[in-house]
Amino acid sequence: MNLERLKPHLPWITLALLVVIVSLIDPNFLNPASMLSLAADIVPLFIMALGITFAIYIGGIDLSAQSMANMVTVVATVLLTSMGAWVAVFCVLLGGLFGAFSGFVTTRFYVPSFISTLAVGGVAFSVAQWLSGQRSVSMNAAERDALFGWMISKTAGVPHELMIAAVLLLVCWFIERRTVVGRNLKAIGAGELAAVASGISVARYKTIAFALSGALAALAGLLFAVKLSGGAPSVANGFLLPAIVAVLVGGTPLTGGVGGVVNTMIGTLIVAVIRASMLYLEINATQQQMFFGLILIAAIALTIDRAKLKIVK
Amino acid sequence: MYEMQKIEKRFPGVHALKAVDFQVKRGEIVGLVGENGAGKSTLMKVIYGAYAPDDGKILKDGRQVRFDSPIAALKAGIGMVFQEQSLILNLSVMENIFLGNEAQFSRAGLIDWRAMADAARQQLKKVKLDIDPARKTSSLSFAQRQLVELAKVLTLEERVEGDLVILLDEPTSVLSREEVELLFGIIRELTKRASFIFVSHRMDEVLSISDRIYVMKDGAVVDVVEKGKASIEDIQHKMVGRAVDKEYYRERRRKPYDHSKVLVELDSVSLPGRVRDISFKLHAGEVLCLVGAEGSGREGIIRAIYGMITPTSGSVKIRDRHLPQVSPRAAAGAGVGYVPRERKVEGIVSGMSVFENMTLSQQSRFSKGGILNLAAERALARDWIGKLSIKASSELADCGNLSGGNQQKVVLSKWRSGGSDIMLLDHPTRGLDIGAKEDVYEMVRDMCDDGVGIVLVADTFEEAIGLAHTIIVVKDGRMRKRFDCGEGTAPTPYELLHHMA
Repeated sequence: MNLERLKPHLPWITLALLVVIVSLIDPNFLNPASMLSLAADIVPLFIMALGITFAIYIGGIDLSAQSMANMVTVVATVLLTSMGAWVAVFCVLLGGLFGAFSGFVTTRFYVPSFISTLAVGGVAFSVAQWLSGQRSVSMNAAERDALFGWMISKTAGVPHELMIAAVLLLVCWFIERRTVVGRNLKAIGAGELAAVASGISVARYKTIAFALSGALAALAGLLFAVKLSGGAPSVANGFLLPAIVAVLVGGTPLTGGVGGVVNTMIGTLIVAVIRASMLYLEINATQQQMFFGLILIAAIALTIDRAKLKIVK
Repeated sequence: MYEMQKIEKRFPGVHALKAVDFQVKRGEIVGLVGENGAGKSTLMKVIYGAYAPDDGKILKDGRQVRFDSPIAALKAGIGMVFQEQSLILNLSVMENIFLGNEAQFSRAGLIDWRAMADAARQQLKKVKLDIDPARKTSSLSFAQRQLVELAKVLTLEERVEGDLVILLDEPTSVLSREEVELLFGIIRELTKRASFIFVSHRMDEVLSISDRIYVMKDGAVVDVVEKGKASIEDIQHKMVGRAVDKEYYRERRRKPYDHSKVLVELDSVSLPGRVRDISFKLHAGEVLCLVGAEGSGREGIIRAIYGMITPTSGSVKIRDRHLPQVSPRAAAGAGVGYVPRERKVEGIVSGMSVFENMTLSQQSRFSKGGILNLAAERALARDWIGKLSIKASSELADCGNLSGGNQQKVVLSKWRSGGSDIMLLDHPTRGLDIGAKEDVYEMVRDMCDDGVGIVLVADTFEEAIGLAHTIIVVKDGRMRKRFDCGEGTAPTPYELLHHMA
């Protein structure tokens, strides 16, 4: 079996190897309760990564996800009292709108997505600072428990966050595999020029990809706010790098067209195991980003489809 | 001095060079002519090192050589002046001349600009160009840029041992009559410094400057003509004169088309660039072929019908109506299908399956509320795989792994299965082997029988003549001549060449 044939299977092989290695170092790792809580902890990151998957799937990138989540923690906290449960809908729409704006800038003005999303992320971050007055804001605990408490409770020992993650994965998988949107995103990622020549309105579907990414980043932010019972313009900082790592090590290359949301689930689990092992190996939390930076570089180098890239700047 | 012996080159499905022998003597100007697809560009790429031959020997100055890259060829004294000029416009003339070879002027990492300017003046003198070497290249005329490019290649004289061979690829295509004369004068004078290989589709120029002319056809050298021993006509007959098998193009199946049913009407259409004043009507059952040289504007005309280019003036009507907007989506929705020249880039999406490719342009027919009906899509694909005998393991096979001919069938069935009855075929047989070509010709006839109108840009003259009801010759963006190919009134390849060159 050659490397090309092996490539699609590398993500889960990596995951399996990592689990074996970590459980050899620390047998407690395999304890079901600790595994469940490990998985639940990573759910906001997973939701963010799900969104970024759509942006990367078409060959773009979404660097605004982290700022979007930051903004939503603040927006959700500030508006919880006045809007009630509708705040969730509002936040997701807001995220989708910001994402769609990135898409509009990218497709209309031919601004590469890494710049348009970086800029829109800057706007989102600033909105968060302005709304929060640069302080942490907290939710009314009673309101939160009444409206969103279910998100972070458990049924038969299984955290509801995991169920949320599972439902979102299913929805995203359905969009990717069974809808016109998903088909067109794949066509754009795998062969944009052929998509154009087939009469697909590429700009529209690219915008949809970024809107999906924004909406999911907003959901991640909402879950954060509920977990922390409040928000701040910086709570989600440090999530962007691992989220992108999760997408790439999962097997969706920066060049797009292959991989998808199921890959991102595997990638997120890889990130979770790496994080957990860093704890066991007593690596300081402040040093984690160094590792994720290095892993990101390795993952990009391994997964990128060089046939599609003529020039890199 | 430079010699190729029995050079072979194959690409998947194509035998591009067949035992080519080629020779350049010191101080000689050698012409190289052939139709599109005859193997000229492949041969050139082998000469300047972009392709390594599969078999055969290359001798330079009596020694056998093998180039893995254009740089290796440069080091052996083989330079190339590109058709699309390779100068970097925002650099100065001297920076361009010594691009990549600045080291000789650098002292402690800093460039001695005065020394470079002096050296550049020396090079410019060789091509009789009296300009300030510090000038921005973008401020030069095309003819001047051509000469700078030549001067750049001539720096090889000081840099490498042995004799120089310089390839000129269509060097006159953007020059005026006087500029061409000037260039030829310079080239003739430079033959004491180098030998030249001159590639052009302008037959009179090739004849006037070359000492010997190699004529290529179907990947082989079919004749070598000495200076003064041949006329333009002789050479053109050799370039195109294959005995054409009537059955090959299914000519017996060419039936009169329906004059009463106009599918596409172009009225004085002008496009950004050089295309001006194009008018024609495409009828049901008609094959209308656009013939012209590379860059004459044929592709632009097709793309304008498909809504990829917005005309600057004039009108494009589909079935007597203007489209609501100029876009491929609107055109596809109106029943226009586009089979692009770059099959692997624009035709198919490799990485997607056969069925996904086939329904790419017609997803609304296979979805409800945005949700796809995979079973129906796959059934359609199986149906067309059977109809066109597409060789694929199943409808789930990756389209990128199919052979060129089968990929083309997928592209054609994408449009035909969606009911498109206006087909735009841009080089539909490019890079296909004979059998696959015949399949495409068969499909062209089938489509005409179904009342489809076809605009075709053919790969060769024979193909155009063999398939078309109507031939329009396009030159420099304008319609030059129209032929109706009824019984006995079809033009000969020579006539076509005469009107386009």
